Amino acid sequence: MLSDIHLPTIHIGKRSINVFPYWIGLLIVGILFGLVGAFTVLRDGLQVTGLSNAIPWGLWISVDLSAIAMGGSAFVFGVIVYILRIKRFEVIGKLAVLLGFLGYSTAGMVLLFDLGQPLRFWHPVVFWQPHSLLWEVTMCVVLYLSVLMAEVLPIVLEHSVFNTHPWLTRFPILSSLIKFMHKLAHWLHSASPILAVAGLTLSLLHQASLGATYSVLAGRGIWFNQSAPVQFVFSAMSGGIALLFLSSVFVFRVMRPGQVSDEALRDLARIAGGITLLLTYLRVWDWAVTNYYSFNRTIALQTEVLDTISPYTLTFWLGQALLPIIAGSILLGAKKVNFRVLMAVSFFPIIAAILTRWNYNFAGLVASISYDPFTPNVILNSYTPTWVEFSVATLVISYWLLMFSLAARYLPFQSMKEHH
Amino acid sequence: MKNPNETPPEQGEQKVARRDLLKVGGALLGAAGLAQFFSLNSLAVRNKSEEHESDGPKWGMLIDINKCIGCNYCTYACQAVNNLADDMLYNVVTTETTQSGEEYFLSRPCMQCEEAPCVHVCPVGATYYREDGIVAMDYDLCIGCRYCQVACPYGARVFNWKDPIEKSDKAPKFGLQEVENRPRGVVEKCHFCSHRIDYGVERGLVPGVDEPATPACVVACPTGARVFGDLTDPASPISTAQVEASGTLRLREDLSTEPRVYYVSPVAESEAPFIQNVGR
Repeated sequence: MLSDIHLPTIHIGKRSINVFPYWIGLLIVGILFGLVGAFTVLRDGLQVTGLSNAIPWGLWISVDLSAIAMGGSAFVFGVIVYILRIKRFEVIGKLAVLLGFLGYSTAGMVLLFDLGQPLRFWHPVVFWQPHSLLWEVTMCVVLYLSVLMAEVLPIVLEHSVFNTHPWLTRFPILSSLIKFMHKLAHWLHSASPILAVAGLTLSLLHQASLGATYSVLAGRGIWFNQSAPVQFVFSAMSGGIALLFLSSVFVFRVMRPGQVSDEALRDLARIAGGITLLLTYLRVWDWAVTNYYSFNRTIALQTEVLDTISPYTLTFWLGQALLPIIAGSILLGAKKVNFRVLMAVSFFPIIAAILTRWNYNFAGLVASISYDPFTPNVILNSYTPTWVEFSVATLVISYWLLMFSLAARYLPFQSMKEHH
Repeated sequence: MKNPNETPPEQGEQKVARRDLLKVGGALLGAAGLAQFFSLNSLAVRNKSEEHESDGPKWGMLIDINKCIGCNYCTYACQAVNNLADDMLYNVVTTETTQSGEEYFLSRPCMQCEEAPCVHVCPVGATYYREDGIVAMDYDLCIGCRYCQVACPYGARVFNWKDPIEKSDKAPKFGLQEVENRPRGVVEKCHFCSHRIDYGVERGLVPGVDEPATPACVVACPTGARVFGDLTDPASPISTAQVEASGTLRLREDLSTEPRVYYVSPVAESEAPFIQNVGR
């Protein structure tokens, strides 16, 4: 199987260079740099960040939200593969599960650094406060991460290392451990429809709750938006599936040609396109409801203030409306478009999903509303991330890329058992 | 490698694809409905105050803006008693303007809301309502996620970014430290000097009347701008002061947080125009 994998190469003159080792080396450097920041923040606490009492959530929370959005394809394809049983997406479904696992584990990792008391990360699991959206999000992320682990394990165990490595015969304890793992994996695999339903429920619950985490905060004006939960679900689906398409083409068409039919990949693009158009439709209506059919002085002021320091409005019209409409339309008509174009435009829904989250996270904090009773105003707070924040962000993003690269290189997505 | 998925008859492929897309479409619609249902439910859920309703006293504060001279003694006393660094203030005094442009001082402790956004959002229940209505913190439970800070419309919460200071420079002039230091990495807040209230009530003192049982900021105020007491007792200092005042207001009443801190307005109108201007 491994001999079938084509690694990306760069051609310089007559030499062709395998970039894979350099790429992995670069990511390891990124992780080492990140570990320095991680150590610093664990030792000195959050005073090493640029966060303040005015802006208590910053870069890390934005990375966390984006990472979770990037895992949005896992629950959709869990349902498509294990419940609707659409066979030709089976291999793609495994990649989706992997992306989900990477997204959620990245999010969990960055959140750990963002806690003031990292050692108390388990408190929400023990000390329940079911009225809190963040409690719900935490519980769902913890449970869903377990579901994703259960879904990823059988895929990983199919690698030949766990079946034919010489150590397995030399160390009997290893082979009995692997045997047990295989049994577990088999059992988990037979439970996959149940896992898919659990995954669907948990991710819908908490993707929506992530939006609601912001939208219940009436005091923040721009955040107080009833449609945020739905926006978050659909933008995670749109961005997540676009990312799944992009990585599927890369893994299955460039690296392992022939493993997935072009038809299936084009259908994947059409699903991404359809959801992107649906999301953009909702998003533009949401804009109209908030800014056009009703006038809210606070939101207008906040938008005005945000526009003075950033292209806030432009990022909406360009990044979250216009480009996704174009990209969505092209992806929807994927049958007649070549893969280069499809890959290029599939970046836009991804960017849109990330933009939505970054704008959401910062809008209510950077432009916050004062509490004085007679001349209320919108205050502009400033926040500049420190190197520690960038360093930890590099750590988790490098982790994501490293795990993805290794999986793309080594994971047997095509089941060996089904081959026989 | 030979691909098993390749080259089925063209027609059959088309039909299967259409059926599959319909399936996906149906699933999507279901997902949308489910998401909407869940999100609406989570938006609807609020801790109802009946849960923490009791017959006992409910402590409140009245701040007369007309009497406040902006001396900051309330802040200093709070710093001394709670051992707070200068960038960790529970109580802040700011200069604001009325609509006619007159400047006045607005001093702001925690509002001790009856429907506190911070209590609603805390994922571990580290912040909670005491029986007497005070919004208190359990510093051993707090994980330092800072959602409460994000939720508080008054900016009343401060996060312990650094290790606690040894001794505030406001001590001993404005008082001595009366509560334990909090560890780095938890969110803290004004607690109406609940340790003083508990101390006083145990000994039969009346908070708001007897100084050892009254919040430090109220005791420290040189002009008597702050009045403290039991809101449920018509004879308490705060209830009588409320009757005497021409009109009182609370901050951001449009948010229905029901604060227990009242202000005597500096202008004749008792209704804050804020309500008409901001909020849906």
